[in-house]
Amino acid sequence: MPTVEAAAAVVPGRPVGAWTIAWRRLRRDKIALASAGILSLIVFAAFAGGPIAAKLLGHGPDDLFPYAQHSLKPVGPWTQVPDTSIIESLVPDAPPPKNVGTTLFVLGADGPLGRDELLRVLYGGRVSLEVAFGAAFLAILIGVTLGLVAAYFGGFVDSVISRFIDLVMAFPLLLFLVMVGYTVAGDKFARITVHGVFPQGVVSLVLIIGLFTWFYPARIVRSQVISLRHQAFVEAATSTGASDSWIIRKHLVPHVLPTLLVWGSIAAATNIMLEAGVTFLGAGIRIPTASWGTLLSSTWGTVANPTGYDPTTFSAWPTLLPTVAIFVTVLAFNQLGESMRSVLDPKAVR
Amino acid sequence: MSVGWRYFLRRILVSVVLLWVLSVITFAIYFTIPQEPAAFLVDPQHSTPAMIAKARHRLGVDRPITTQYAKFVWRALHGDFGVAYEGLSFNANDELVGTHVGSQVIRAAAVTGWLALGGVVLVIVLAIPAAMLAASRAGSWLDKTLLAVTLIGISTHPIVIGVVLQTFAGNRWHIAPPSGYCGLTGQTANFSSPFDNNPVLCGGFRDWASHMVLPWITFALFFIALYLRIVRVRLLDVLGSDYIRAARAKGASEARVLRRHALPNTILPVITMLAMDIGTAVGIAVYVETVYRLPGLGRLTLGAISGEQGFDLPVIIAVVMVVGAAIILLNLLADALLAVADPTIETRGARRAQAAGRVI
Repeated sequence: MPTVEAAAAVVPGRPVGAWTIAWRRLRRDKIALASAGILSLIVFAAFAGGPIAAKLLGHGPDDLFPYAQHSLKPVGPWTQVPDTSIIESLVPDAPPPKNVGTTLFVLGADGPLGRDELLRVLYGGRVSLEVAFGAAFLAILIGVTLGLVAAYFGGFVDSVISRFIDLVMAFPLLLFLVMVGYTVAGDKFARITVHGVFPQGVVSLVLIIGLFTWFYPARIVRSQVISLRHQAFVEAATSTGASDSWIIRKHLVPHVLPTLLVWGSIAAATNIMLEAGVTFLGAGIRIPTASWGTLLSSTWGTVANPTGYDPTTFSAWPTLLPTVAIFVTVLAFNQLGESMRSVLDPKAVR
Repeated sequence: MSVGWRYFLRRILVSVVLLWVLSVITFAIYFTIPQEPAAFLVDPQHSTPAMIAKARHRLGVDRPITTQYAKFVWRALHGDFGVAYEGLSFNANDELVGTHVGSQVIRAAAVTGWLALGGVVLVIVLAIPAAMLAASRAGSWLDKTLLAVTLIGISTHPIVIGVVLQTFAGNRWHIAPPSGYCGLTGQTANFSSPFDNNPVLCGGFRDWASHMVLPWITFALFFIALYLRIVRVRLLDVLGSDYIRAARAKGASEARVLRRHALPNTILPVITMLAMDIGTAVGIAVYVETVYRLPGLGRLTLGAISGEQGFDLPVIIAVVMVVGAAIILLNLLADALLAVADPTIETRGARRAQAAGRVI
């Protein structure tokens, strides 16, 4: 018996939106799904996993355990460490005080100070991801606004904004990040935490990275909107009396959104690298706050104190863990961006 | 004058204005931060107010900021960036003596320049043939492996690449010196650590090249990965076009199609992109110089910012101006190159300007 469903299935050419097509393509792209899955896992681990693990283990990421190292070498993974912050005597490697319990270090300690590496990687991930997302969001916010205004209104406004973009582009980005990070952001802004919502240093790093990278999305949006501005559908909207803000919101923004998604994903990857780099150069997140940058530089040294390779204190785990965390996250963001680029491209045939 | 010339004249004028604004901003940033430049000359804890006032006067920092800025611009226009604060002292005749920022910056810029130049050569020599290989066998296992390797390359932090290479190739296997720099001409004192009292004298081409091997590789790896991807996509794009089909139809071999027909159309955009990526390159150079202790612009700036007595404004502003000028100049050069080689660029520029409601 022919059902209504079967009849509906043969009706040809039911129009589907661009987003639906993109979603269908994305579902077939296994690498993109894997990247998205890994990223959600990392975000969950960093934002919720840190506090949960701290609760379960019974110690925090900044707690010092003098018995979590033996002659400055941190203990390895899955070690029971005497649960005390006091050293019994000044003699190194003296036995721990009596009647203290032990606490578990799942991934070992982070170095001579004896902090829990797992908790530091998790809490540090939160800081690094906040910087990555925050700075990308800020850059897109500024970039889209200026790019849209420049392209849509043209003329003098466009000239001024374009020269402004040229100016910011001429800044040697990393040098400026370091300079501003060292000086302005060093004392005043680093303490901004918005009532304790963000760890120290996050807001200032978001501000500097965002304020020096918005020109990328601004250029993308400007060139796209310039090519869209005189197309028939925009002129049709103008002729029906649509206001400037209506045209921008309903006709132009949806067109630039896919490109921005792609840029945002790759920018998040770049920002994670930048956080680690600027922190390594001594101008980013300050110790003792954990971030992937501070973890990386605590084993490999910073500019002020480059340790390089020192066989007496070197331990593979604290070096490997932040490196792998940064690598996997950056790889996933890059791959997701690439996949989204091909998925959202209307010209791509599949 | 043709439209093209007028366009470039305009661009050059805009570049000069950009450099000027860059100097104003840098000056302004560093004058909003409280610091005492006299601390470089006298110890503020153990000197009388008169001595501090004299030091301030001799440095010229007691005058209003506008006067100081005007003096800076006047001197800079004559190629003089002043004397660095660090290492300043009075000599026997009560005259100020110190290192000239100009020569300091030139020496550092040479190191960074060699680093970048060697790196770019590596990128061109390795990335383009690899991309041709990948593009000619698109979709094959070789192509997929190369793509995966490049994805790893652009996702690994340059610092990590640097430290790993330094630790293994330098410190463990002794393939190349793990850090330090040797001058290409003349002898340089090479300190293996900050506490080293017996520097090794070295110099000449062999020493110079051996000390630059690891930095070059570190610098180039990121860009090789990036450009392999870009050139591959571009090649695949070109290989699908009609004139390639025509070349194949007349019986040209696949190697010849790739080399003589597809590559020339790929290489120019790549060179212009290299010129435009100099901002990123400076950033990576800072990492590389830090890891390998090369006395380049990055380390010069870091030292000037993180000095104990405060920041060394003359050095900082000189570096910003030099790097800013290099970025602007190379961008301009890239545009000029593209315009000379691609005759459609001019009309395209004009059309774009028209669409934006602007007349050149």
